Amino acid sequence: MKTIIISTLALTAITFAACNNNQPATSETQHSDSTAAAHHETAPAEKTLATVKPQFTDVSPATATALKAVIDSYLQLKNGLAADDDAATAKAAEAMSAALAKVDASQLTPEQKKIYAANEEDLKEHAEHISKNTGNIEHQREHFAQMSEDIYELAKAFGGGQPLYHAHCPMYNNNKGALWLSESSEIKNPYMGAKMANCGVMEELIQ
Amino acid sequence: MLKSKIAQGFSPGMLLAIFVVIQFFRPAKNQDSQQDATQDIATIYPMPDSVQHMMQLACYDCHSNHTRYPWYAEIQPVGWLLNKHVQEGRQELNFQEYGKYSFRRQRNKLKRMKEQITAGKMPLSSYTLLHPEARLTPAQKQAILTWIDSTLTKI
Repeated sequence: MKTIIISTLALTAITFAACNNNQPATSETQHSDSTAAAHHETAPAEKTLATVKPQFTDVSPATATALKAVIDSYLQLKNGLAADDDAATAKAAEAMSAALAKVDASQLTPEQKKIYAANEEDLKEHAEHISKNTGNIEHQREHFAQMSEDIYELAKAFGGGQPLYHAHCPMYNNNKGALWLSESSEIKNPYMGAKMANCGVMEELIQ
Repeated sequence: MLKSKIAQGFSPGMLLAIFVVIQFFRPAKNQDSQQDATQDIATIYPMPDSVQHMMQLACYDCHSNHTRYPWYAEIQPVGWLLNKHVQEGRQELNFQEYGKYSFRRQRNKLKRMKEQITAGKMPLSSYTLLHPEARLTPAQKQAILTWIDSTLTKI
């Protein structure tokens, strides 16, 4: 336990220091980090944001409704992390578990099923872990990074039931970076929370 | 604190009687006689023998279908605690059933293994305290991490 606390503190300190070093003075999208700078040149403003159309045009209304509930809980979860609120995050993760349980895979076409099944098990695991880790927001974020990849795959295939912005945080996980999806084009970084709320790059719009 | 409060309510004789009685409630052991290797992580993602050996010593007691129990596991309530621990560990990650996970889950578990080892969270210090053979030297950890990295680039 002690080592966990110490390593968490150390990690937080390192991340914090890294963020301070790299944070630009004003711009939301600009970044001194090289990865971010590269993205910045290609995806500066909403107008020129690449738009992605969902792969499936034949999603049944029941499936669309069920998946929208999953996406909605994901967005709540993301907002919980952006607000550094571990309890709200855990609650949203519980909502996601419930929403995932309601998705009826038998309604899916074989092609749809393939993509859903590839992500379902992983998503359920992340939702469970996040719901159980109130008090350990950094661990919630580790799972959120992988969860976001699953949700991204689902959103690209099935749509999100609403326009979804795909954003990128170049600094998370020792500058390896991580993605997240948002209902808004305004950057509110769920990986860094309040200490670096505006850091991140918009990549594309899924609608 | 709790213990002393409980102890106040019981005479030494009663405590002894309780201790004797609980010895009869033995949890089922996690020792699968059919050691099925087809779903083992080492079969799915081949690894050097040295890495496999390390993982078996340091990880498999809690993360497989076969636990090597220490003698004190025969004493309750220690056995119960151990059993709970093993069940949680197995539910979290079972190296002998790795092949049953979806591809994405396999990959993500590899990434999280890396995080846990790098952060020094695994193997658990409470476990290595009593299992010196499960303590990993920095070089051993590095060998596992190298294998994880090379596997991640291949898949």
